[in-house]
Amino acid sequence: MASIDIALATIAFKRKIAYKTTWLFSVLFGGWALLAGLAVWNHLIGDGEIGGYDWEAMKAYLVIGFLTTTLAWAGAEWDMANRILDGLVAIDLTKPVDFQRARAAEYIGGMTASVPAAILGTVIAVLVFRPAGPASPLAAALTVFSLLFIFPLAFGISYLAILCCFVTQRFLGIQWAKDSLVAFFSGMMIPIALMPGWLQGLAWAMPFVHFTTTPASIYLGRVDTAGALGLIAVEAAWAVGLLVIARLIWRQLVKKVTVHGG
Amino acid sequence: MADALSIKRSVPVRHASGIYWRALAAHIRSVIEYPADLWIMASAGAVWNVLQFAFLAVLFANIPNIEGWGFHEMLMLSGLLSVAGGANALCFDGAWNTGSMVIKGDIDYRITRPAPVILQVGSSHIGLQSFGELALGFAMLVYGWIGAGVGMAWIPVGALAIVSAALIQTALVTALCAVNFWIKSPMSIFAFLLIQLQGGAMKLPLGVFPAAVRIVSLFIVPVAFINVVPVAVLTGHMNAWWLVGTPVAAVAAVALAAGVYRLGLRAYDSAGH
Repeated sequence: MASIDIALATIAFKRKIAYKTTWLFSVLFGGWALLAGLAVWNHLIGDGEIGGYDWEAMKAYLVIGFLTTTLAWAGAEWDMANRILDGLVAIDLTKPVDFQRARAAEYIGGMTASVPAAILGTVIAVLVFRPAGPASPLAAALTVFSLLFIFPLAFGISYLAILCCFVTQRFLGIQWAKDSLVAFFSGMMIPIALMPGWLQGLAWAMPFVHFTTTPASIYLGRVDTAGALGLIAVEAAWAVGLLVIARLIWRQLVKKVTVHGG
Repeated sequence: MADALSIKRSVPVRHASGIYWRALAAHIRSVIEYPADLWIMASAGAVWNVLQFAFLAVLFANIPNIEGWGFHEMLMLSGLLSVAGGANALCFDGAWNTGSMVIKGDIDYRITRPAPVILQVGSSHIGLQSFGELALGFAMLVYGWIGAGVGMAWIPVGALAIVSAALIQTALVTALCAVNFWIKSPMSIFAFLLIQLQGGAMKLPLGVFPAAVRIVSLFIVPVAFINVVPVAVLTGHMNAWWLVGTPVAAVAAVALAAGVYRLGLRAYDSAGH
């Protein structure tokens, strides 16, 4: 990592911590989703189990979902989108720094600023709701390792979403569509295990599943060590794949940039 | 700003509504010129509905009902919520611009024009995702309606519910966007929070949630009257008397939005002061 990446990440980090209300709201957003999820699944599961999740396991599943969504929502995707919508991207093109690389550094720097709030929220949730523990110490370690991939994956997906702004006038509807896709196919809305076979296949073929189902499956021991390592390898492949796909799309879309009609 | 406000109070309703519709029609003409924008945004609006339908289909393949509510009744809940959100995005999406207009001093221009500022800002944009939200939301509502066995005689009630839902949703989002007159941020974070809370809780029967959530959503921020109360009445889960609350909540929410916006304009001190 070059000093330029660290410098951009540091600026984004400082910008993020300067706005403390953003921290608060990122935890509130995730916290509300967690509480709503707990109320619904408590009602549905009761003393039994659904899709192989009993109440203790489901609590752990939802808390992991809270942690990942809090981190994933903390990136500065609006800053990226506005650069394209306002036309600032034209100035970025004149700079001797790759646009995608610079935005990645800023995005991950911004996400890092939310780590203390996300961890604090998770510790509180664990203390209050007492979810199931990890299947083994190794599973716990692999879960933490798999969570690290949330950073490049969240950037990759957000970056693809903001590229839409080359052909739209707003990011609002795009963001909601992206958030819905992540919520559904990550398993946050409903566990993947409850879906019919073809939909499970579709979910596992997309990158969103690694936001909740992958870390939760490793944590709860629903996959063995070899399975966990396989899932982490897939996460790594997606992290790289999303960057490559975005570069290919960028090459086409950047031709649409016009500055004051010229 | 007091002089400017007194000018606008004298604007006749017919004139104001004429300006609003002309601004909106001008936007519609302009969006048709950008078909890629229109199709991408309309598809984005449809995504939520498709996934919501999938969520309910998967859920009800595993459980028979939630608090006595079946699949089709829950479809009506999500459908009406989506129609309300779509109507808001189609008719008053510009309210989301309030924060950035306040920061950039753009409100100055609106104040000098002889039409209510709230209508000028509200009609300053069309959320193209609304086309997808409205089309699929309505389809989901009708599919749920037929599947739940709600009779044709209830159609006038359904129409009242749709109009009220659109008004409450629009008014609450506008009122929360107007908070940016004071907090000076381009992001309408409170309006976002409202949408987030609705997405989390208002697509499920109120009985699932603790009493505090029920009280807040019925009597403090009346989001339950957007979709939960009308659908509960239509499907026999709530007494018909609750329906009276729907237009009442609509009128109250519109009055609240107009009031907050007016207070916001009084607090507005343009950019750089």
